[in-house]
Amino acid sequence: MDFSFTKKEEKFRTELRTWLEANLPEGWLEGKRDLPEDLDEYSRVLRAWQNKLYEGGWAAIAWPKEYGGRNATLMEEIIYHQEMVRVKAPPLINYIGIHMVGPTLIDIGTDEQKEKYLKKILTGEEIWCQGYSEPGAGSDLTGLKTRAVKDGDRWLINGQKVWTSFGHVADKCFLLTRTSTHPEKKHRGITVFMMDMHQPGVETVPIVQMDGHKDFNEVYMTDAVATDADIVGQVDSGWHVLIALMLHERTGIGAELFTLEKQFNDTVELAQQYKVNGKPLIENPVVRQKLANFYARVRGSLLNYYKNLTTTIKNGQPGAETSIDKLVVTELNQALSAFAVEIQGHQGVLFDKDAVADPKWQHVFLASFGQTIGGGTSEVQRNTIGERVLGLPKDMGR
Amino acid sequence: MDFSLTEEQEMFRGHIRKMLDTFGGTQLAREMIDNNPQNLKKVYTTLAELGCSGINIPEEYGGMDLNALDLVPTFEEMGRSLVPGLFMETSALVVPTLKKYATEQQKQQYLPAIASGEKLVSFAALEPFNDFSPAGIQCTLVQQGGQYVLNGTKTLVPEAELADAFLLLVRTNQEDQEDGLSLVLIDKTEGMNIEKLSSFDESKHVAKIEFNHLVINEEQIIGEVDKGWMQLQEGLLYFNAALSSYIVGAMESVVHMATEYAKIREQFGQAIGRFQAIKHSIVNMKVHLEIARSLSHYANWVVDTDEFDRQAAVYSARTYATEKFIEVSAHNIQIHGGIGFTEEIDCHLFVKRARYYDQYLGSTPFYQEKVVSSLGW
Repeated sequence: MDFSFTKKEEKFRTELRTWLEANLPEGWLEGKRDLPEDLDEYSRVLRAWQNKLYEGGWAAIAWPKEYGGRNATLMEEIIYHQEMVRVKAPPLINYIGIHMVGPTLIDIGTDEQKEKYLKKILTGEEIWCQGYSEPGAGSDLTGLKTRAVKDGDRWLINGQKVWTSFGHVADKCFLLTRTSTHPEKKHRGITVFMMDMHQPGVETVPIVQMDGHKDFNEVYMTDAVATDADIVGQVDSGWHVLIALMLHERTGIGAELFTLEKQFNDTVELAQQYKVNGKPLIENPVVRQKLANFYARVRGSLLNYYKNLTTTIKNGQPGAETSIDKLVVTELNQALSAFAVEIQGHQGVLFDKDAVADPKWQHVFLASFGQTIGGGTSEVQRNTIGERVLGLPKDMGR
Repeated sequence: MDFSLTEEQEMFRGHIRKMLDTFGGTQLAREMIDNNPQNLKKVYTTLAELGCSGINIPEEYGGMDLNALDLVPTFEEMGRSLVPGLFMETSALVVPTLKKYATEQQKQQYLPAIASGEKLVSFAALEPFNDFSPAGIQCTLVQQGGQYVLNGTKTLVPEAELADAFLLLVRTNQEDQEDGLSLVLIDKTEGMNIEKLSSFDESKHVAKIEFNHLVINEEQIIGEVDKGWMQLQEGLLYFNAALSSYIVGAMESVVHMATEYAKIREQFGQAIGRFQAIKHSIVNMKVHLEIARSLSHYANWVVDTDEFDRQAAVYSARTYATEKFIEVSAHNIQIHGGIGFTEEIDCHLFVKRARYYDQYLGSTPFYQEKVVSSLGW
């Protein structure tokens, strides 16, 4: 058992920290962290941030050097997330491009595809979205109805996607379509296209979320056009592409855990500062018990993540047990943010500019409801753990 | 970074598991219900032969001079089979306390005998109608001439009938609550009146002991007089780290039982493990187990360091483990249905032990407060 970092890892941390301090937007470290409300302005600022990361060599550290990455180890990725959380760095607008599409293309893309897309993913010139969910295909993605039909030397795509994050600012879409029908084996006949979002057949309509944000979109495709060159992998083998892609999402949960850990420390600070009847809230025995309970859960989740990470490093790829990390961090985030809002008393309802504490817990609380749904609902995670970790039988429907 | 047990530690686990399985696993606990500790005694002898009883004892006293983390496989495996008895009190409470506070003579007298498996020590702290706090300790140890006289009653003393010696927490000073307690280590003598108490966890024996003018020597006092409560906290850190490991092993057994039963029990024409109501309940148990395991491994590592979170890590490992052990063993009964409510199936052994440990040497709220205060909050 060893919790230390190697000299090389510490050097990596120092290098990144120094770079961040010199390159974060002006006033960021001092607390000037408000991003523009206007969507175009928001996207312009975040594209500029991503380009800066690219120029510093920090946009996609896990990618191989030959494609503009740093060949980072898993531990270096962990350090990267820790440092980004430490300075509350601006969000990575091309998260899907950097962490999912890029690594998948490097893995199974053609030379032309690599040449055409990878650099633009890195620089932020082309922002990517994922076209997965549909009105009738949520947890059961195989129910997707968006069709791609060959029409001469091109494909015509018709259908609707929903919950498409960044759809409104995206230039490209990693799109799941149905190209043939197999009622008994519904995961067959799916094809992944890299679709251009800037064309007459594609329309995006923002969805206002319960936290006031408009990250999600509906995407309507009416005779949208793609070509053979836009297919990832083979026709009808999209399910394999999807599985390969998920294996590349190596350390995203780590980033969420480090954020959670920081938010727990902020909650303790809140309880120390907030007074009830003239006394700091943290002196209240019930609050103390709850804090002890959260401490155990937050530390336990983090340590469990390190345990699974150790296994991943030893085996070369993550096992099914990593589903536990996703389940735990999202449910814990929900409970912790609810607690942080609760202990603010009636002031806990104050929102946005009137919110009394930093971070703005009301946003964290509202956003937390999306976390247990997106990227596989808690129920789907529990099925995965039950079936793939414990070996329990699948239900009859699948 | 490497957060895992070593290959050697895992190999050692294999030996202990195999050995305990030859005694029938939970059969050892069931034999205790029938007041038959013969096989348990054999288990102790074998554990000593394997070197378990000397793992954390320095080489000069016949041990291996290893760390708390090296005891983890032993405790997890004992928990897996719910092995009763005094191994944990002896190795994880008495040994660390002696290493830190005993005189050379006291160490010579006890550590080699513990390492060789000759001596098992029980812990007597609680008193009738009192709680586990300095004010609750009223057994008196009074100096008379060159000797000391012990009077009072201790209760809920684990496996007193198997103990060769007792570590006692007694009052030596009436002026100060906390700084008025001392630790005493005494061998079992005729002068102790030991009475077995009835407990709903019948596989874990507890007794009441009356001390009536028992004369003891100054050499039997461990560490500084009147500083017993403070010194005990150090021993309790090791004990609670070990307890969390034992519970992790027990939880592992429970999750295994529930999973295997759900795979074979059929209702409505299919294995009940297909139903999400059952599947998700077992998954929740598994998640609690894995979090408890991670907290416990870390606690057993950090307890031998001087990291800032040393105490908080141990206390949080204990509270999480004791709380979730009750929860998972209760769910296990529910998943088994009617058969889970019987004496025949092991389910009840686990829920009873879970309740026992949740309330042993301080409750969950007691340790939650310790988590928070040890972090300076």
